[in-house]
Amino acid sequence: MSLEITLFVIFALAAAVSAVMVVTRSNPVIAALFLVVNFGSLAGLFLTLHAQFIAVTEIIVYAGAIMVLFLFVIMLIKPENEQKFLAVNKKIKLTAVFLAALILVQIAYIILFANPSARLNPDLNASVQAGTIESIGTLIFTKYILPFEAAGYLLLAATIGALVLAKKKFE
Amino acid sequence: MTIPIEYYLILSGFMFLTGVVGVLTRRNAIVVFMSIELMLNSADLTFVAFSSYLGNSIGQVFVFFVMTVAAAEAAVGLAIIIAVFRNKKTVNIDEINILKW
Amino acid sequence: MELKYLFNSLPYIKPELILAASLVIIVVADLIITKKKELLHYIALAGIIAAGYFVLEQFSMNAFAFSSSGNKGMLTVDSMGAFFKGLVLTASFFVFLFSFSSNEINESRSKLGEYYALLFGMILGMFFMISASDLILVYVSMELVSLSSYVLAGITKQSLRNSEASLKYLIYGAVSSGIMLFGISLIFGITGSTNLYEINYILRSPETNRVILLLAGLLVFTGIGYKISAAPFHFWTPDVYEGAPITITAFLSVASKSAGFVLLIRFIKVAFIQNSLNGYWQLLPAVDWKTILLVLSILTMTLGNFAALWQDNLKRMLAYSSIAHAGYMLAAMAVLSNQGLIAILIYFAIYLFMNLGAFFVVMLISNKIGSEEIDNFDGLGYASPFLGVSFAIFLVSLTGLPPTAGFIGKLYIFIALVDAKMFLLSVIMVLNSVVSLYYYMRVLKHLFLRKAEGAPIELKVSFPNAVVLLMLVIPVLVLGLYFTPLVEFAKNSISVLGF
Repeated sequence: MSLEITLFVIFALAAAVSAVMVVTRSNPVIAALFLVVNFGSLAGLFLTLHAQFIAVTEIIVYAGAIMVLFLFVIMLIKPENEQKFLAVNKKIKLTAVFLAALILVQIAYIILFANPSARLNPDLNASVQAGTIESIGTLIFTKYILPFEAAGYLLLAATIGALVLAKKKFE
Repeated sequence: MTIPIEYYLILSGFMFLTGVVGVLTRRNAIVVFMSIELMLNSADLTFVAFSSYLGNSIGQVFVFFVMTVAAAEAAVGLAIIIAVFRNKKTVNIDEINILKW
Repeated sequence: MELKYLFNSLPYIKPELILAASLVIIVVADLIITKKKELLHYIALAGIIAAGYFVLEQFSMNAFAFSSSGNKGMLTVDSMGAFFKGLVLTASFFVFLFSFSSNEINESRSKLGEYYALLFGMILGMFFMISASDLILVYVSMELVSLSSYVLAGITKQSLRNSEASLKYLIYGAVSSGIMLFGISLIFGITGSTNLYEINYILRSPETNRVILLLAGLLVFTGIGYKISAAPFHFWTPDVYEGAPITITAFLSVASKSAGFVLLIRFIKVAFIQNSLNGYWQLLPAVDWKTILLVLSILTMTLGNFAALWQDNLKRMLAYSSIAHAGYMLAAMAVLSNQGLIAILIYFAIYLFMNLGAFFVVMLISNKIGSEEIDNFDGLGYASPFLGVSFAIFLVSLTGLPPTAGFIGKLYIFIALVDAKMFLLSVIMVLNSVVSLYYYMRVLKHLFLRKAEGAPIELKVSFPNAVVLLMLVIPVLVLGLYFTPLVEFAKNSISVLGF
């Protein structure tokens, strides 16, 4: 088994297991920590896909900034633990899980049936080139300059919004 | 690139559906929000997988924007959750029910 | 892409530039002005009018902006976009006028700057949504609209109702945009592009995989359906409309919905249409949008109308009625023809006046009595005959009875449906209108035929409010009788670039 496959299996298993853990843990802090594990393993998967820049930003933005925000809020408001995943509304939850599993099988079937890798002929060099910070940066600042500016306004609106909601008590 | 892209897609489908199940079944607004982050991340994985196999950076540019949006959404979302918590002293979405669901 | 192309594209986004500048000006002005916060109202109105001037310019334009080699551009500037931009601006103009006298807004005056800044953020996002032809811009602008509206739904602090509406809006919104994003990622995987025109070009080749494309199309529709509150993605609508400040409710019900519809039109017309034959659009064999839209429109209008029957809160009732109206417009969309598109444009122009009018009257009355429950409206039609009669006109128009404008709107949808031989859908639409008659008339019954309990309430409409109300009533009446200019205008505004 080559290194690539080994890494993929490890990261994929970690991502899948931690995703399930996020959804099933009753303590929100533990769920948040599993989400960090999930983000970390996703960053690993991005590396196996030669997307270095995205892998680094995934760690910095998601695992760094967003999760700190989540943990901060969780500790601020100290929500009580929920009951165990299957303790209440067992039937509804099992139905939801069953339906999701069914849809997953369907999606997997569709994907395998469509056989996308037959249409793709991956080129290692192109793939490495696509993931470099140069090619992403060039695209963002030329072709996608308008969405970039729009994203700037999105952040401005979010700042104003978060401020106006949070300043309530300090008047 | 010995791994077929199908594996990545199925993993991302699995994560997406896990997120959906979380949104549907969990009652703590913060955990619901974390499940939404899972859904966004699974879409990111699809984007990067296709981008890498097509040798096309656009998918990764999209992921960059998704991250920006996710950060902004988390900031606003958590501010709203705090605002609700101040009024109601709970973040359980079953108990937040002045308006009928 | 060189700098030169960037500069060449700037003239195409003049209205957006004005809006962006107004947003910044308002934020700064809010810092400088400490006493007379009322000035912000006027600054906001000036921004809207300036942007409106530049939108008028765009009616004659037909161009791609921000294009680079091999790319059809980020933005499509065409007359349909200009029509809807004008619509959004008109709606914002009225909503800003409403904000002058809304109790809810005046009570939290210290937040007026943020209120307007976020509204401008929303308008800016809608403008990009209206003219975007690239899925990246679509996603970013939709999120700009959504994020601003989540906050606006909870901006007035006094009631728990507000922040609750905000939370529900946020959760539904974030889930649907996540689902949409997954759909977009699949579309990107199939086509390798995010540009709608390139996607169309690639989908024309027979090898595309239809099953995945159907899945992706449906997922993307979830996000758009959430914005236009089509069933089954409508769950947020009644709660948010009831909980949000009424000016925001009015704005969401018209502007947000219209931006969502443009997105739907552009997404289907640009990416999934092969060619146009005698005004009828031929779908690519990829996804059968006609059936999807047909089923969803029947579901949406029926659900909206029947749920509205049981509502006792007027805002909630108007929310369900707005779902029903989205259903009528989806029916016109399902025709997939130029005529259907004209019908949508006409309907939206009329819907703007009647729906904003209905919300305005509810706001004026609830300013006085502090409630939107229908039982508290008993006998109020006589307290101020002017208000009562205009409310009656708006409700009759929403039902779609002549001689009001609502009738014309429904008539054109009907003509488009019959012309396409979609008789079943037209019959269902008529039956739905009959159902809607019941709940609209129930309001009038309370207003005019019930005696008020307790001391009679005095309702006075101040002069500026009377002018605003007249500005809404007159179009509803005039367009019901003399509608040729509107129809001609709509006919000239349906050119979507690329076909």
